[in-house]
Amino acid sequence: MKKVNILVAGVGGQGLITLSNVLAKAAVASGTKVLVAETHGLSQRGGSVEVHVRMGDIYAPLIPIGGADILVGMELIEAARFLYYLKKGGTAVLNDRVIKPAVPGVKEPARNNLIKYISSHTGKAYLIDALATAQKAGSSLAQNMVLLGSLLSTGLLEDFVSKESVIRVIRTLRNAEINEKAFELGFSKTNILRRI
Amino acid sequence: MVSKGELLSPPGSIRLFLGNEAIARGALEAGVGFVAGYPGTPSTEIIETLAKIATDLGIHVEWSTNEKVALEAVYGAQLTGVRSMAVMKHVGLNVAADPFMTLSYTGVVGGTVIVTADDPNMWSSQNEQDNRFYGLKSYIPVFEPSDPGEAKELVKVLFDFSEKHEHPVLFRTTTRISHVRGPVKIGDLPQYKVKGFFKKDRPRFAMIPSHAREQRKTLIEKWPSIVSALEGFEPFNRIENPGNKKIIIASGLSYSYTREALESLGLYEKTTLIKISTPFPIPNDMLEPLKDAAEILVVEELEPVVEMQVKSRAYDMGLNAPIKGKSLIPVIGELSLDKVAKAIAEFHGIETLPVNLSGNNPLTKQMELPPRPPTMCPGCPHRGTYYALRKAVNKARVKPVFSGDIGCYSLGVLPPFQEQDTIIEMGGSIGLGNGFAHTFEQQFPIAIIGDSTFFHSGITGLVNAVYNKAPQLIIVLDNRVTGMTGEQPHPGTGLTATYEETTPISIKEIAKGVGLEYVDEFDPFDIDQSFKTIYKAILYVKTNRKPALLVARRACALEIDRRAKRRGINNPLYQVVTDKCTGCGVCYNAFTCPAIMVRDDKKAYIDETLCTGCGVCAEVCPFNAIVKVKEGDPEWYDLWNI
Repeated sequence: MKKVNILVAGVGGQGLITLSNVLAKAAVASGTKVLVAETHGLSQRGGSVEVHVRMGDIYAPLIPIGGADILVGMELIEAARFLYYLKKGGTAVLNDRVIKPAVPGVKEPARNNLIKYISSHTGKAYLIDALATAQKAGSSLAQNMVLLGSLLSTGLLEDFVSKESVIRVIRTLRNAEINEKAFELGFSKTNILRRI
Repeated sequence: MVSKGELLSPPGSIRLFLGNEAIARGALEAGVGFVAGYPGTPSTEIIETLAKIATDLGIHVEWSTNEKVALEAVYGAQLTGVRSMAVMKHVGLNVAADPFMTLSYTGVVGGTVIVTADDPNMWSSQNEQDNRFYGLKSYIPVFEPSDPGEAKELVKVLFDFSEKHEHPVLFRTTTRISHVRGPVKIGDLPQYKVKGFFKKDRPRFAMIPSHAREQRKTLIEKWPSIVSALEGFEPFNRIENPGNKKIIIASGLSYSYTREALESLGLYEKTTLIKISTPFPIPNDMLEPLKDAAEILVVEELEPVVEMQVKSRAYDMGLNAPIKGKSLIPVIGELSLDKVAKAIAEFHGIETLPVNLSGNNPLTKQMELPPRPPTMCPGCPHRGTYYALRKAVNKARVKPVFSGDIGCYSLGVLPPFQEQDTIIEMGGSIGLGNGFAHTFEQQFPIAIIGDSTFFHSGITGLVNAVYNKAPQLIIVLDNRVTGMTGEQPHPGTGLTATYEETTPISIKEIAKGVGLEYVDEFDPFDIDQSFKTIYKAILYVKTNRKPALLVARRACALEIDRRAKRRGINNPLYQVVTDKCTGCGVCYNAFTCPAIMVRDDKKAYIDETLCTGCGVCAEVCPFNAIVKVKEGDPEWYDLWNI
C-alpha cells in the first residue's frame, strides 16, 4: 500500500490548519485520497496543536505513534513534543523558532538542545527561519506557507501532490501574492541540517 | 472555512470538506428548510456553513439561545412539514433531552435529523458521554458515519428515512468525523420547502397523560417496522468478505480504523467485516452471518453500545461463539490504528505487530519539555478581569470560591489565576453558587460566567438567586461574542447567525429586570476601575447578604485583532524600557500575556508579532517600564466599540 503520513505540530494560531488544508486540497486536485485531522475549539488557544495529514491508501484519520513519515514543526518545542509520532529515521521540516509557553516560571529549553534531540531521531532534518523568510515575503503570518514550501521541496510528496496544484490552491487564499512568495522562498531556501 | 462557491460546487465534483461542512452539504442536498442549534465543539461548523448560504437558498438557519430551545424550534418547524435539523454537541443533547424524549412519542411530519457531535477523548468537553445511548432510551434510531464523505451521503438519506417513517433520527458524529477533512462528492440540490401548515391532531401532539399512553403504545407497535426498514441499508451497512469464521463488527468511524488495521496486518481477506452505520437498532441482516462465526469481535469507540446488543441478540439466536469487545478495545478515549491493530492481532492470535502499529514509543530517550496548555490570547479581556478580581478579593479579605463555567474563561483554572474552582456544565457557575451561598460559613461565592453562556442557561439560575436570596457575586464576562467556538453572534450582540441585525439584549437590563438590586459594569482594560468596582460589589454582597451582578464588558481580542488585520488597521505597540525593567516578573509570571517574553537577565520584552496593543501590561507594570512606542490608527480604537 502506498501512503504517506505527515504530522504537523506547532502552537495554536500559527496557521497549521491552513497549511494542512492547502496541502490536502492540492492532493484532492491531484486525485489523491487524503484525510486531515485537526484540532479546534478550546485546545487551539495558544496551546500545543497537532494536525494529522494522511494521503494515499488510507481509511483512518489519525497517524499511529511512530507512524509518521514526516514531521513538520512550526515551532521547535512542539516539534520535540510530537517527535514520538515520527518513525525512526523519518524526515523533519522545522521552523527555526522557539516560542516560550505562557506559563508562569517556565524555562524554555535551549534551541540547540531541541535541534540536537530532534535530529538524533530523524534521518533527515531541514531547518529554516520561517519568520525571517515570511517577513521577506511581506508578512510574518505567512510562516506556514514557508514551511509548506520547504515540505514540498523535500520531494517526499511527489507521488501524492504536485507543486503546481499547491500553488493553484495558494492563489485562492487571502493575500495570495504574499503567500505564494513565501511558499516559493520556502521551497528554494531550505538548507539541509543533518543527514544520517 | 469552506467558501460559498466551494459549498455550491457543481454536482459530480469532488471537494475537500471538513466533516461538519459535509454534514451541512448533506442536509442541503436533502432539502432541509429549517436548522437550529447552539455552538459547541465539535459541532459548530455545521450551522456556520449553513448560515453562510441560508439567505441565498431562502432557508432558516439560527443560533438558538440553547440546545433545548433549538430542538423545540425544530420540533415546531417539522410539524408544519418542513424538513428540519437540530445541531448540538454531545452535552447539548442533555440540555435538549426533555423535548427529545417525547419526540418519538409524537413522531414527526417533516423529515427530522438531530445531530449530536460527541467528543471522545474530551478535546473540548467536560465528559465523553456516548450519546448513542440516547437512542436506546428514546426509541430513536442512531446513525454514525465512517468518514466525512459518508457523513454527507448518510445525512442526505436520513431525511427521507425520517419522513417516510414519520420518526426522528439521531445522527451521531464525533470529533474525528466532524473535524476531519476528506474528499466529498457533491450531489444535486433540490427545491426547498421552507413554509408549511400545521395540521392539528391533539391526541398525537398534545401529550396529556391519556394521549401519551396511547402514543407510547403506537411507538412500541411501530418500532419493529423501523428495525426491519433498516435491512438492506446499503452502502452504509454492508458485509465485506463474507464466509470467514472470524467476524468483526465495526460501527461508524471504528470501521475506518478496523479496515486499515486489517489491511496493514494482511488479515483483511481472512476476516468477515460487518460494517454498520446503524449502532441502534442493528438490523437482522447484519447479524445473520454470526450464525456461522467461530469468534466475534465488536470494534467501537467509548461504550459497548453495539456489543451489548449483539450479545443479547446472540443469546436469542442461540449462538455459542465467543463475543469480544471491550475486553480488547479500550473504553476510555478515542480509538487509534495501533489500539485497533492490537485488539485485532489478539483476536487473530498474532503475537508481533509491525513497529508502526505496535503503539510503542519509537524514541530511545525523552527530552523534558515545558507544558504548553491552551491560554488566553494576547489582549484577552478575561486576563484583566482575573487580575483585578484577585486584587479585589485580597483587599476585601474574603475567602473566595470561584464557581466557573464553560468558555474561554475556563482557562482561568490554570496558573497563575486559578480563579475557576468548579467547572461542571453550561450555567453551572450561578447554579452551584446558589448552593454555595446558603451553605458557606466562612467562604465567599463568586460565579464567573460568559455572555453567551449567561443567555444559554445563566438566566434561570440568576432568577433563582434573587428569588431564594442567595448572596453571591456574579461576574458576567461579556466579550460581545461566543468566543471559544470561534466568534459566533449571540442574543447580546444584535446579530443573528446569518448576520442580520436584530435587537441586542442587555445583560444588565435582564439582571435589573429580574429584581437584582445591585448591578454594575466595568472595563477589564482599566485594571484600577475593574478592581474598585469588584471590591465595592464584594462588600455589598457581604454586608447586605444579597446577590450582585457585574458585567465585565470588553470585546474578544481575537475578533478585534482579526478585523483590524483584515482591514489593514494598525494597533498601537508597547515595548519594555529595559533600563526601567527590574525583572520582577509581574507581567510574564502574574499577568502572563503570551506576547510578553523573558530575557536571560529576567527582564521582559514584548514580541511585536503577538502584541495586540491592548496596553493592559503597561497598567500592570509596577515600575512603569512598559510604554507605548507607536500609536495605533484612530480606527483601531473604534473597532473595540461593540
